[in-house]
Amino acid sequence: MTNKTTHHPDQNMLIEFSAGTLETAASICVSAHLHFCASCRAQLLRLDQVGSQIMSQAEPVEVAKDALFQVMEKIDSGDKATPIETKVDGDMPFSVNKLIGTSLIDKNWKRLSSSVDVARFKTGQDNFEVALHKICAGGKTPKHGHEGLEYTVVLKGSFSDENAVYREGDFLLRQPGDVHQPMGAQNGECICLSALSAPIVPTSPLGFLMKPWLRINPM
Amino acid sequence: MITSKIRNPSQTRPTEDRVTTLNNSEKRSDQWSQLLISVGENRDRKAFAQLFEHFGPLLKGFAHASRNEGWFPGLGDDLVQEVMIKVWNKAAGYNAEKASATTWIYTVARNCRIDMLRRKSNTQHLPLENEDFWHEPDEATPISLLQQKRSEDRVQDSLAQLPKEQDQILRKVYLEGKSHAEASAELGLPLGTVKSRVRLALQKMQIIVSKEAQE
Repeated sequence: MTNKTTHHPDQNMLIEFSAGTLETAASICVSAHLHFCASCRAQLLRLDQVGSQIMSQAEPVEVAKDALFQVMEKIDSGDKATPIETKVDGDMPFSVNKLIGTSLIDKNWKRLSSSVDVARFKTGQDNFEVALHKICAGGKTPKHGHEGLEYTVVLKGSFSDENAVYREGDFLLRQPGDVHQPMGAQNGECICLSALSAPIVPTSPLGFLMKPWLRINPM
Repeated sequence: MITSKIRNPSQTRPTEDRVTTLNNSEKRSDQWSQLLISVGENRDRKAFAQLFEHFGPLLKGFAHASRNEGWFPGLGDDLVQEVMIKVWNKAAGYNAEKASATTWIYTVARNCRIDMLRRKSNTQHLPLENEDFWHEPDEATPISLLQQKRSEDRVQDSLAQLPKEQDQILRKVYLEGKSHAEASAELGLPLGTVKSRVRLALQKMQIIVSKEAQE
């Protein structure tokens, strides 16, 4: 397989994404992963086929006699040119690009610690803080635990923790109770998309150094 | 009566004419995809009317099946209108090697339905529409319409053979648009049971592979 990502969203998450019922913050992260992962895209197509066949079995409800006429009128009075869907350019997933273009709370990176910067997004929901995190090359973050869920997708570069190395496209889900200490790769900065549902808890005695981490700001 | 218009040459896409490259068995295989291609390439109003006749009532049914937060009585007609206008406007970008028309229209309808429900129930500004989550790169290996049609037929057959409770859960998820958590509350089942039931149904249909089998 050409696809190099090794950490994927679980099956139920992909199913909910395909059915359109996955919450916004998680959907942003899944869509970012799909940008990188051909095998999840193939799986998603199969799930969409299920959705399409189930929709085809919906109890048909008669539409108004002039419904088609009204649609044609709207089409004729509206936009004539049909822009072909914009292709995804560059290395960033479409949804992340759009967020960067429209919804950054602050246009500049904000320092969280000596090795981590953050850029938060406004995403119109209250459950998760969605943000980009940048870990500098070789940067160490304090060891910390999670009280809530955290989705992470590596967008650029790589980082590692006690368990594994995570590369571009990898999708991680931290559960409440997980403790880890991410470290940026030596060979370059690492940018991650993350959605965090509750403040993280420092477990090391120097944890007070990461105070800014302790606030989440869902927007 | 709606007549088809001669298309403006400036709208011609530089790609080869996909209708003519399909062989005969493929042409027979999926009339909806053929019609959609014709709408995209020739702004074919007759073809669009045929799509409307078939998908309009299904889309309205699809809207009526969801009684979620934000649901309102006019949703059905609004959805038919919004989806079909999108179908017309986006048809030129439709790639038959990525998904059949039925699957493609499903994804448009699903995204529209969520966005319409969200707009009704959410007062906050939402910078992303559901559609924004669906811009995937083209695949290296295209799938022919015939292959897609075959796999959709298999999906249909296997749906019909599902045990009742598995069929019910897939309908809740895909047709009613219920999240796993909502389905669990409605059916009075633990969330874990809902999750595994959904997976079991899709494993049975050979859509997903069980985790044990993957290893």
